[in-house]
Amino acid sequence: MSPDNQAAARVAVAPPSHAFVPAPKTPKVANAGLFRVIVIGLLAIAVLAPVGLIVYQSFLNAPFFSARAKLSLDAYAYVLNDPSFYKALGTTAMFAFGMVAVAVPLGGILAFLITRTDIRFKRTLEVLVLVPMFISSIVLAFGYTVSIGPTGFLSLFVRDIIGFVPWNIYNLPGMIVIAGLSHVPHVYLYVSAAMKNLPSDLEEAARTSGANIWQVSRDVTLPMVLPSLIFAASLNILLGFETFGIPLVLGDPNGIMVLTTYIYKLTTLFGTPTYQLMAVVAMVLVLITIPLVWMQRRLLRNSRRYAALGGKGARVSTLKLGRGGQITALSVIALWLFVSVGLPVGGITVRAFVNAWGEGVNLFSQLTFANFDGLLEVPSLVRGMINTMILSVVGGALAVGIYLLIGLAGHRNNGISNTVLDYIVLLPRALPGLIVGLAFFWVFLFIPLLTPLRPTLISLFVAYVVVGLSYGLRLLQGTLIQVAPELEESARTTGATIGRTWRDVVIPIVRPGLAGAWALIMIIFLREYATGVYLMGAGTEVIGSLMVSLLQTGAMSTIAALALISIIMTGAGLALALRLGARIHD
Amino acid sequence: MTELIVENVQKWLGGLQILKGASFTATRGSIVALLGASGSGKTTLLRCIAGLEQPEIGKIVIGGKTVLNGEAKLALPPEQRNIGLVFQSYALWPHRTVRDNVGYGLKLRGVNGDETAKRVQAILDRMGLGHLADRFPSQLSGGQQQRVAICRALVYEPRVLLLDEPLSNLDAKLREEARYWIRKLILDLEICAILVTHDQGEALAAADNILLLQDGRIVQEGAPHEIYTNPNSFYSADFLGANNIVNGKIERVDGGIAVFGGNGWTLGGTVRGGGPVSAGSDARAVIRVEQIAVSDQPAPDAIEMELDDSIYLGDKWEYRLRRGDFAARAHGTRKMEPGKVYARIPAESVWVFPNGA
Ligand SMILES: Nc1ncnc2c1ncn2[C@@H]1O[C@H](COP(=O)(O)OP(=O)(O)O)[C@@H](O)[C@H]1O
Ligand SMILES: [Mg+2]
Repeated sequence: MSPDNQAAARVAVAPPSHAFVPAPKTPKVANAGLFRVIVIGLLAIAVLAPVGLIVYQSFLNAPFFSARAKLSLDAYAYVLNDPSFYKALGTTAMFAFGMVAVAVPLGGILAFLITRTDIRFKRTLEVLVLVPMFISSIVLAFGYTVSIGPTGFLSLFVRDIIGFVPWNIYNLPGMIVIAGLSHVPHVYLYVSAAMKNLPSDLEEAARTSGANIWQVSRDVTLPMVLPSLIFAASLNILLGFETFGIPLVLGDPNGIMVLTTYIYKLTTLFGTPTYQLMAVVAMVLVLITIPLVWMQRRLLRNSRRYAALGGKGARVSTLKLGRGGQITALSVIALWLFVSVGLPVGGITVRAFVNAWGEGVNLFSQLTFANFDGLLEVPSLVRGMINTMILSVVGGALAVGIYLLIGLAGHRNNGISNTVLDYIVLLPRALPGLIVGLAFFWVFLFIPLLTPLRPTLISLFVAYVVVGLSYGLRLLQGTLIQVAPELEESARTTGATIGRTWRDVVIPIVRPGLAGAWALIMIIFLREYATGVYLMGAGTEVIGSLMVSLLQTGAMSTIAALALISIIMTGAGLALALRLGARIHD
Repeated sequence: MTELIVENVQKWLGGLQILKGASFTATRGSIVALLGASGSGKTTLLRCIAGLEQPEIGKIVIGGKTVLNGEAKLALPPEQRNIGLVFQSYALWPHRTVRDNVGYGLKLRGVNGDETAKRVQAILDRMGLGHLADRFPSQLSGGQQQRVAICRALVYEPRVLLLDEPLSNLDAKLREEARYWIRKLILDLEICAILVTHDQGEALAAADNILLLQDGRIVQEGAPHEIYTNPNSFYSADFLGANNIVNGKIERVDGGIAVFGGNGWTLGGTVRGGGPVSAGSDARAVIRVEQIAVSDQPAPDAIEMELDDSIYLGDKWEYRLRRGDFAARAHGTRKMEPGKVYARIPAESVWVFPNGA
């Protein structure tokens, strides 16, 4: 069954008009079925238990462990009557859509320049433009604070010259621009993938009919990649609704709240825990994000179909930019990179090595290692660094193993269990890390058997696995699907069971891909900060979440040192990933 | 000895019925060819036998063991069917050497190391691959890969060997050689083989029995000579050989003999393909190219035709003939000048099929 004759026949053959078509019931082949049921069942529990607990908690009038907790709608009544909830909701929506308005056009332009033109330094740029994606948004936001915040290095420098600071990032537009710039890679990734599959003869035909490069991109390229742009937009709206770090750092000081920071503030609103209120807000958030995830799934399926039609015999040749074009294009990219990577990372680097600065202070005379020495003196910070390393390096490897098992459970599985799997992996995508962490915190409190595990890294690990599920699974499914079906089928006809085939054929063939996946998951776990906010405790600190709690105390020097360490770890992870040949692009 | 029984196998894929009731049997020491146009369902049928697809309806017995029974909802997975399958793409495992590729089936069957090594070496030697045992598949030529794939499927002595277009990825010269040695090998080993192909030459040369598939159905079954010289439908007649297709009307019928003609010509023909035939109805005739003899001398049983051109084909000449709306190709050994020629077309070679047959 070569794919081309299948395609031909699908087009040619009319829908069946037979009078009698019995329901195609396939006799069951008992093979690997048990494995699939167990793996998918366990996954379902791991995902549904925390979600179920949120739903349950939202219908109680007190924290679930409280003796006076009973079913009620009080929490809904409170939240839905709270004006600041509506304010946060409105802000979240503006934030999300604003972010899309910044990220999508920029990401699209970047993708066009890098995939469809002969821009210089293409190989390097392909990696560089993805960098903001790998830095956690709490680090980025903090970086902007110290570089272009009211007393940031660059702000002071500019004020020295012109007498005032012409920008303010501590308001909604500032947050939107910063979030938009840092989400450009998420757009670039999908749009460039679509553009790579576009046969270039379509563009060449337009050029030879007399269109210039901008007319070509507007009239030919843009309509062809529209599905991927729409997909990227919906993905970014989702990410916008889930963002926590940027609003926390930049919005909170001025009382600008989004839903995630509203939840975070609720914790500390009263003296007692207000789990029921947090659960209600989480419900609202999830009710918004689930339809978005659902829509994306449909979009993705359609765009795949669309890509399959084009792709054939695609030969990609590039449009010539010319000298002026090269300079313009490279300047745009350089400016974007400066603003979205250079500014925050540079700011953090400087801030990590100084203690005092201000007008008229020479930074070079202030250079010091005191901030790092300070880190080493606080046991919780040292543990945070060690735990972060363990979770990302060891936990990342374990997570790849788990994702591999899940991937295999869904591999060439056409049964009901695969449909279940399909839907289960959608759920975590709709859940911000903050809420997953919160929900797992509750799970570990709620189930007596699990309570002893709560103060261990295992609790964080489980939550991280769920948070990374959709990314990690996609990574592994992408690797598994590259094993040609005949290679597996030939093992089967030679006499191997499905399990044997996985062990002897599939896993050995995908092994190189697993190493790359490990490096990428490692980065994801390294940069995670929201999941641990509620879940970490004494002994299970992680760098990202430590930064969140340190923000409340204003220990800027410590945060700067931690942020720099986090950036260096991420850089090392990225270098490892590239070395291992990880497929960063999708 | 019957090794394979396929009974009324019906298969739906993506809402379409791909197999519409295929039945046949195959015996030990013989090759059955599944022949048909691309998309006729050959691969699907083969995969149903292998257990890689599960038909909704039907029964399949391999070596006396029922491996599929639609009614009883019984379907054994591929690994329990004791078959060997050679894929069109060969599907050699890239991470294993030739030796490990071939030895895998023995390992799965619990054959010990020494015995495995011996049997693998023996079959590789037999195929002239002994010196390549430590290479990886990517280091082999297409022809070598194909032979390794056949070794891998044969080494554990399966009851039935299934081959899906095994020659289609070879170049033309290798292909003729390969179909000869594959046939010899299968007859020597006395196994039962099913060969899927869309190439009639391959089926005619390699098989003992040909099943002609059309649109998920077996439309004719027979020995190569039988199926070539005695087709039962227009599809069969047209699918095999190099043919002239002639459209015309039946003028007279007398038993199996018909007079068939069109604008300015008539031919004697034999009526085939069942169905009632009446004078005056439209029909098509199939005339194998090699059945028309052309001469520049008139003869009593030849019709006069116009020669438009002679085309040089290397080993022979092709003549383009015309009379009224009857156009035909024929072969000969020498160049002839355009103009009047005489074509002998025996009535038993003009197979007349009523339209719709
Ligand atoms: N998975 C599938 N879903 C739908 N149709 C299929 C599938 N596989 C094959 N077909 C269709 O079944 C028909 C027979 O295919 P196949 O057995 O590969 O034909 P052959 O090998 O004779 O070329 C074709 O029309 C093909 O498009
Ligand atoms: Mg085929």
